[in-house]
Amino acid sequence: MRLTDEQMAARKRRNLAIALGLVAFMVLIFVTTVLNLRRNIEAAADQRAAEQAEFTAPVASGVQR
Amino acid sequence: MPTPAAPVVSTAQPEDYFQLLKPRVMSLVIFTAVTGLVAAGGDIDPLLAAIAVLCIAVGAGAAGALNMALEGETDALMRRTRGRPVAAGRVRRDDALTYGAVLSLFSVMLLGMAVNWVAAGLLALTIAYYAGFYTLLLKRRTPQNIVIGGAAGALPPVIGWAAATGSAPWQAWLLFLIIFLWTPPHSWALALYSAGDYARAGIPMMPVARGAKSTRLQIWLYSLVFVPVAILPAFVGLGGLIYLAASVAGGLAFLALAFRLWRSRAGDAPDKAEAVGREAALYDVRAEAKPARDLFAFSILYLMLLFAALLIERLPASQVVCPSCV
Repeated sequence: MRLTDEQMAARKRRNLAIALGLVAFMVLIFVTTVLNLRRNIEAAADQRAAEQAEFTAPVASGVQR
Repeated sequence: MPTPAAPVVSTAQPEDYFQLLKPRVMSLVIFTAVTGLVAAGGDIDPLLAAIAVLCIAVGAGAAGALNMALEGETDALMRRTRGRPVAAGRVRRDDALTYGAVLSLFSVMLLGMAVNWVAAGLLALTIAYYAGFYTLLLKRRTPQNIVIGGAAGALPPVIGWAAATGSAPWQAWLLFLIIFLWTPPHSWALALYSAGDYARAGIPMMPVARGAKSTRLQIWLYSLVFVPVAILPAFVGLGGLIYLAASVAGGLAFLALAFRLWRSRAGDAPDKAEAVGREAALYDVRAEAKPARDLFAFSILYLMLLFAALLIERLPASQVVCPSCV
């Protein structure tokens, strides 16, 4: 089947819109992944710091006694 | 009148696919979702919050696309909707269905990944409720269609709240209740001056099924319940002085317009645009139907005002400028 110029032009514009949509979706997935990784790393660091403080606190109070 | 047959090779433009998302409805969804998200507080990353709002908007748009795909034939019978892409034959029904389904899937998945699965679950529920329950089951079966179906339109602030905090406490459901109770007076005011359209399409909207007089009374009764609920956030710590002033002043105007509509004869005769067979326009109605048009227009303004007041008060910047207002 031979497409008319109008059909070809419409198809081209739709394809371009789909491509842009897919690229935007990939960017959003990437940004989401990076932000969630950063949040998890910060949460892990906070947890480590809290555990460290818990571990050293009794020792420090024992020394004072 | 059946939907005009779409060409075998589509000539649909990207703009037609954008129209499938119901951009005007989407803008209200974005606004209420942002308000829910900001009102919730929480420590969500601003970029993740923006992605969450985008997902909610696209999800709501996808529900709109599914609705247009499923209602193409009905839309073609009504002046207000016959220019829609599927109804006008510019986009094929199957294409619109696929488009809506893909966007639904992508928006729910991304929202779950970006923030949490409570918000994603609520978004999925909204889409299924609107496209499935409301469009396929309710709309043609009962004059209470928009009352029950209004829940879908009322969910975005709850989704926004859940996106920020991972939960949906009663404050979020209070925002839901405001939109839920706002929907009947808003929709029935519109239906009063476009009842002929609904009758032609076989949709049992309240003025078609119960008559204009009963609809005007129900609008008034719903308004009596809606306005106090709209003011409630000011007394439960959700809204401050700005919200109180906006909700009371706007609420009184809303009640005055609803009362005027109740005492009017709006909807008793076919509207002017319908009588002369032209395209419907918001300000092109019979003199008797003007109270309905006025309430319809003001209801949009009032809802925007309520959520704008809440948004302004809850933004971190305004808490610095005027702590006593919030």
